[in-house]
Amino acid sequence: MLVQLKVNGELRSADVPPETTLLKMLREHLGLTGAKLGCDVGDCGTCTVIVDGQSVNSCLMLAAKASGRDITTIEGLANSADLHPLQKSFEELGALQCGFCGPGMLISAKNLLDKNPEPTVPEIRDALSGNLCRCTGYTKIIEAIQDAGRAMSSAGA
Amino acid sequence: MRPFEYAAPASAKEAVALLAEYGDRARPLAGGTDLIVDLKHAPGKLAMLVDVASIPEFRGIELTDEGLRIGSMVTFGEIMASPVCNELTPEIVSASHTVGAVQTRNLGTIGGNLVTCVPSADSAPSLLVLDAEVTVAGSDGNRRMPIMEFFVGPRKTCLQPHELLVEIFIPKASLGKPSSFRKFGLRKGQALALVNGAGALYLEDGKITQPRIGLGAVAPTPIRAPKAEAHLEGKTPTDELLNEAADIAVTECKPISDFRASAAYRRQLVHTLTYRVLKRSVQIASQR
Amino acid sequence: MATTVKDVKKGAKNLTTDKDLTAPAVKPLTLPKDNPVIYPLTLPESEARRQTPAVGQRASRPDGRLHGLGQTKYIDDLTFPHMIFAKVLRSEHAHARIISIDTSEAEAMPGVLATLTGKEIPVNSFGPTLQDQPVLADSVVRHRGDGVAAVAAVTEQIAADALEKIKVEYEVLPAVFDSLEALKDEIKVHPPHSNIYTSKVIKKGDVEKALAASDHVFHRQFRTQMVEHVPLEPHSSVALWDGNGRVTIYTSLGRITLGREDVARTLGMAQSKIRLVGTIVGGNFGGKNEITNEPILALLSKKTGRPVKCTFTRGDEFISSTIRHPFIMDYTSGVNKEGKILARKIRLVLDGGAYCSWTGTTIGKGSILAPGPYNIDNLLVEAYAVYTNKTTTGAMRGFGAPQVCFAYESQMDDIAEKLGMDPLEIRLRNAFSEGSSSPTSQVLQSVAVRESLIQASERFGWKEWTQ
Repeated sequence: MLVQLKVNGELRSADVPPETTLLKMLREHLGLTGAKLGCDVGDCGTCTVIVDGQSVNSCLMLAAKASGRDITTIEGLANSADLHPLQKSFEELGALQCGFCGPGMLISAKNLLDKNPEPTVPEIRDALSGNLCRCTGYTKIIEAIQDAGRAMSSAGA
Repeated sequence: MRPFEYAAPASAKEAVALLAEYGDRARPLAGGTDLIVDLKHAPGKLAMLVDVASIPEFRGIELTDEGLRIGSMVTFGEIMASPVCNELTPEIVSASHTVGAVQTRNLGTIGGNLVTCVPSADSAPSLLVLDAEVTVAGSDGNRRMPIMEFFVGPRKTCLQPHELLVEIFIPKASLGKPSSFRKFGLRKGQALALVNGAGALYLEDGKITQPRIGLGAVAPTPIRAPKAEAHLEGKTPTDELLNEAADIAVTECKPISDFRASAAYRRQLVHTLTYRVLKRSVQIASQR
Repeated sequence: MATTVKDVKKGAKNLTTDKDLTAPAVKPLTLPKDNPVIYPLTLPESEARRQTPAVGQRASRPDGRLHGLGQTKYIDDLTFPHMIFAKVLRSEHAHARIISIDTSEAEAMPGVLATLTGKEIPVNSFGPTLQDQPVLADSVVRHRGDGVAAVAAVTEQIAADALEKIKVEYEVLPAVFDSLEALKDEIKVHPPHSNIYTSKVIKKGDVEKALAASDHVFHRQFRTQMVEHVPLEPHSSVALWDGNGRVTIYTSLGRITLGREDVARTLGMAQSKIRLVGTIVGGNFGGKNEITNEPILALLSKKTGRPVKCTFTRGDEFISSTIRHPFIMDYTSGVNKEGKILARKIRLVLDGGAYCSWTGTTIGKGSILAPGPYNIDNLLVEAYAVYTNKTTTGAMRGFGAPQVCFAYESQMDDIAEKLGMDPLEIRLRNAFSEGSSSPTSQVLQSVAVRESLIQASERFGWKEWTQ
C-alpha cells in the first residue's frame, strides 16, 4: 500500500506491504537509517522518532498508521545552518560512546526540552526511561541535556 | 511480521462490521504496544488488522453532568496531560505514569490496556476503586456495564471477537474522591507490576464511608477486596484498622509464584500496598 | 527457536545449592542529608595534570559529530544492490546427535534462494585456543544456541518462515548444566575429551603450613551468574564477492584480523582473498570478539551471487552470542589477630559453556587476580574450566576479574566483621604497595591501592557513614 507522510518537513512516500513498521519504512524505503533496530519490541528506545509532536517507538507503529502524519527523525534535528543545541552539547560533553542509543536519546531529549526547557534530573531520568544505553551509565547524557536546555532557554529569552 | 491487510475504518459501526466479516482472522489495533509485539513472535492466522485508534467515538475526554467520559482510544500520555483528569481523577493519572515509558505512553491506550486484560493491567485498580463503567460496541449496538464485569480471566474480557470497547465512564459521585494508586515493580520504568493496587474512601464525621480497594497481579483478573472494604465501612481510620484491612485483603487474593516474585512475597506486597493506599486516601480526605 | 522460561528452569533444577550460604548482617548505608551527590561532579585538579598538560585535558571524540547527526553507519545500516537476507536455525536441544537435516521444503519456498548446512563448510571448526566450535553444527549440537542450518531469501520474513520448514531429526543426549556436575565427567560434552578443558595452578610459599599457623581461618563458597552483554547493536554482517574470487565481509566484529584468520581457516581460503571491514561497533564489551555468521554468509553469497546480510534478533543475542563465565569460587583465608592475611587457598570452577571461546584468557586473568590486590605470601590457586551444555562463555569486560573481585572483597568484609575491624582498615593493612609482589611474583610499580582507598573514603565520607 502507498504510505505518504511528512518526514523532517519533506513530503515522502513509499509503497510498502501493510505489515511494514514505520521503523522499517524509514530505514529501508526512505534511506533514513538514524533510527535503529535494537530489540524490535519497544523496550530499548533506539527506534524512537517523533510523530505529531510525541515521541514513539517506531518499531511498534505500522507505517500505515503513520500515514499523513508529521514525523521528525534524528536526521531532522540539524538544519543547513547549524547543529541542534542538543547535538552540540552531546558532542562537547562526550555524552555518547558507541553512539547506537544516540538517535533515540536525542529525539527523546528534544521531545522533553520542547515541552520542559529546564528539566530537573529526575524529570530527565523519567523522560529517558524508554531509552537504554549500555555504554555510558547515562551521567554525561543527563549533563548534556541540562546543558542544551540552558542554551536553548537563554537563546530563546 | 507475516503479511496482513490493514484497514482504518472511520466509525465504530464500520469497524465492528469489518471484524465480524473476517471473524478470527481479524483483530482490532489500538496503540499496538502489546499487539504488534505479539504479532512479531506469534503471528497466528491474522489476515486483517483493523485500526480503531482514531475512530472519533473512541476518542476524547469529556466532563458531563453525569461524570467523566474517557474514550477507549485515549492514550496514557493524553490522560497525563489532561487538566480535568489531573484535577478529578488524579490516581488514573498516577497509574498512567507508571505504564512503560514516554514512548509507550504516547502510543498505548487505556482501552488497549483493559482489553489486553493481563492481571497486572496498570489502569485497572484506579478504575475499580472509582466504580467505573465501560461501554462496549457490538453488532446490536452499545451496552454499558460495571468494569468488574468486563474482566473475565487472564487475557480474556467479555468482548466477543468483533466487539470493541468504546469508552470508560467515571460516575460523578467518584470524581474527586480521595484515592491513591501504588505499583511495585522490579524497577521504576518499563516494569510489569509485581503487585499494583488502589484505594479510595470518603470520611464523614471522621468515619470511613464508601471504602474501595482494587488489586492487580494477584488473581486471574484485577479484583476488588470486598471483605477488607466491609471491615473499613463506618469505622475510625486508625493505623490498627488499616492494618487489619490489609490483612484481610491478603486473604482475598490468590497470587502465583513466577520468575518475578514468589506468591509469599506478593502477599507481603499486597499488605504493604493496601495499607499505604488506604493511609494516603485517609490523609487526603482529612485535609478536606 | 524460542527459549522459554520453562526451559531455563528445567536446566536450573540440576544446580546444587549451597545451603550453608548465610549473609552476615550488614549495616544499611545512608547518604548524609547535607551531602547529596550533585551533577556535574567537580574534582580538584590532579598533580599529574599540572606536570603534563595532556593528562586531564578534554579531548573530543572523533565520532561525536556523526553520532549526534545520526550519520554513523553501523553494519545493519549498510545496504547493497540486490542484497538478500539470511537467518540461522538454532538447535532445539541442549545436547543431541543430528541424525538428518532436510532443507528441501525450505528450498522450494518462493523467495528462498539457498540453504546451507554444516557439511558444506570446508573446515567446520574454529576457536581462539581450541578449534572446538563448528560454524554450523553438523553431527552434534551442544547447546540451544548452536546453529544447525541457514537460509538465504529475498526478505527477512521469508528467511524466518523458511527456517520453520527445515526438518531436523535429533537423537536427544543427556546434558550437563551444572559445572560441579561437569567436573565429574559423567556426561561428556566433547567426548572422548574430559570436560575439564583448561586449568591453571598458582603456588607461592606453603599455604597449608601458613593456614595451620593462622589465628583465624575463613572459608566460604561464592558464585556468580551468567551475564549477557546486551550490546544495543545486535551482531550483523554482510558478505559479497567480486569477480576475482575475493570476498568482502562487512561485520560488527570488533577483532577483524583474528576474524579474517578464522574466515580463512573455515572457508579454506588464503587470507589475501578475504577482506573484513568493520565500522563503528554499537557496543561490544567483549561479545563481538569472534566470528559468528561470517563464514555462513560468505558461502550463501557465493551460492546465490548476491550480497547476503544477517542481523541477530535480540533472542539470538541471548541464546547464541557469548556470555560471561559463571564462577564457583571456594575461598579459604588464614589471618592473624591483627587482620593480616597469612595464607589464601582458592579453587575456581569456570562454567566454560559448550565451546572454549575466550576461556583461556578468562581463566588466566581470573587465577592471577583471584587472591586480590593484597600481599599474601602463601598462596594456592587452582582453577578449572569445564564444558557444559549451555551458552558459550566468552570474553566480557573484566575477563574473570569481576567474578573473583566479588569473592575476595566479600571475604574481606567477612574477616573484618569477625575481627571487629573497620573494613577499610583491614584492606589498608593488606593492600599492595610500591614494590609488592603479585601472585605470580611480578614486582609491581606505580601502585596506588592504599592512596586510592584513602582518597576515595575521604571523598565519600566513610568516617561519617560508619559512626
